[in-house]
Amino acid sequence: MSEPLIRAEGLTKRYRRSTGGKGLTGFFGRSTETVDGLVDATFRVEPGEIVGLLGPNGAGKSTTVKLLTGILRPDGGSCSVGGLVPWRDRRTYTAGIGTVFGQRMQLWWDVPILDSFRLLRDIYRVEETAWKNRLDELAEALALGDLLNVPLRQLSLGQRMRAELCGSLLHSPKLLFLDEPTIGLDAVSKLNLREFLLLERERHGTTILLTTHDMADMQALCRRVLVLGHGRLLYDGSLHDILQRYDTRHEVRCRFAGEPVWQDIPSSVALRRDEGEWELSFAPHAIPADEVLRLILAAGRIEELTLKEAPVDEMVAEMYNALHLS
Amino acid sequence: MRYRAYTTAFRVEARQQTRYRGAAMGGIVTQVFFGLILVALYDTLSGGTDEGFRRTATYVWLQQIFFRAYFNLDSELNDQVMTGNVAYSMLRPVDLHSWWFWRAMAQKIITIAMRILPMLLLQLLLPERWRLLPPADIPAFVQFAFSLLIGFMIICQINLICSAISMRTLDNKGITAMINLLMMILAGNIIPLTLVPDRLQTLIRLQPFAQLLDAPIRMYQGMASPGEWLAAAALQLGWLVLLWGLCRWMWSRNLLRIEVQGG
Repeated sequence: MSEPLIRAEGLTKRYRRSTGGKGLTGFFGRSTETVDGLVDATFRVEPGEIVGLLGPNGAGKSTTVKLLTGILRPDGGSCSVGGLVPWRDRRTYTAGIGTVFGQRMQLWWDVPILDSFRLLRDIYRVEETAWKNRLDELAEALALGDLLNVPLRQLSLGQRMRAELCGSLLHSPKLLFLDEPTIGLDAVSKLNLREFLLLERERHGTTILLTTHDMADMQALCRRVLVLGHGRLLYDGSLHDILQRYDTRHEVRCRFAGEPVWQDIPSSVALRRDEGEWELSFAPHAIPADEVLRLILAAGRIEELTLKEAPVDEMVAEMYNALHLS
Repeated sequence: MRYRAYTTAFRVEARQQTRYRGAAMGGIVTQVFFGLILVALYDTLSGGTDEGFRRTATYVWLQQIFFRAYFNLDSELNDQVMTGNVAYSMLRPVDLHSWWFWRAMAQKIITIAMRILPMLLLQLLLPERWRLLPPADIPAFVQFAFSLLIGFMIICQINLICSAISMRTLDNKGITAMINLLMMILAGNIIPLTLVPDRLQTLIRLQPFAQLLDAPIRMYQGMASPGEWLAAAALQLGWLVLLWGLCRWMWSRNLLRIEVQGG
């Protein structure tokens, strides 16, 4: 196994939050409370991996990204990325990473994006020909060719996001952080973005850390996820496994020729009548699907039967529920 | 090159500023108007045709021409400080104090460059007695130009110190209002420092705000002796070094403890 790129040990960050105080007391003194941003997180990321950070709002995803990018210093634990400590070696470290925040543009608002890219060339001290080649490559992959002379503020959200991605990759970073990169994008833009990221990783072996609320993003990009909740790292492993484990919303709809006679329905199966149809929902880890089918077959003669797959977002909600996150 | 990022920041920001021609025109009209009122006022107060009044009128006009340089013109920095987003600039491998400083310099230099010529032309329309006098001589002009540049640098440091304080308070209105008021009075914009009574004038000349435009203007009007010039230049440089150091220290301290809002 190769040397991990990111090595975080017991990483902890707590925020102090003012709780105000009512009326005049608030004027004279404010009390504060401590909020867990991230508590005792230990994980590793290998070079070339795409790792997803998953969790509800306020779970600690952005805190993790901010700690790993060096914007925040932790209150405890340690972290090294490629042998550097992000917050201590800020200038050396940031020269080798790329960052994109879906909620916050980093390119300059009023100037043509090509000017922003030139500025980035100088900030990251990219050599002229290397910069030019990289820009050509990225502009083509991200379809930015015609937009280079347009100021950022005149671009659509999808175009802006592409420009941001281009800007974040011009200095060919080995590690890319994406914080909700697809937020607000339409379906086509999302699809293009995912394709681009996979291509970028294939061509350059870029390691990508991604936070998103969009499960389709996760499924398209990540094999491995870190699930966070209330500042704690709750799960670190394959996305497939965790979806299976919390895939609790299998539904079967069926119509019978006559009135069915239900026998011995276990509590793990919810039975509901919907007009002429019956709906059974069950958790596959509590009762196997073929067991449910047997129950249905025993109830009467079937005219029609459909299996409804659970939407991924519901699975995630279920997972958060089970992990006491909601 | 090590400093390429900062020269580029300067260049990009300079080009950006040239777009604000509308704002420049508005500013010119306002400043000519204020200059006119102040000159007329001091003319009435002086009551005669003495050399002293012409010097005061020149002082007033130079203050009005360079008026915009006093203010923090970096709306991007202000926004970032107020929202706490300034932390995101830590993602760039640059020295942030230097970065914002060179931007501020570009803003001041270009803003002023766009105003100089129109204002010089406009004051020519006035009766001769109310016009700006030329510099005392060529050396005086050279001294003035250098001193003006140092003055701009000091203003940038003062502006950036305000930003550093705003990072802690997450609001820049209070500190900005206070500093601007102090600056208007102590830098000689409303009352030329040359009109302040002698004893007080010596004191008032020592404080940092007098280094912004008052020192350059006195050089423009000609110093009494090389010794006097040397003392004024040394004082100006001394304040620049001191404020530069203080500002850098405040910025590095604040960026360490800044907490990005939201999780």
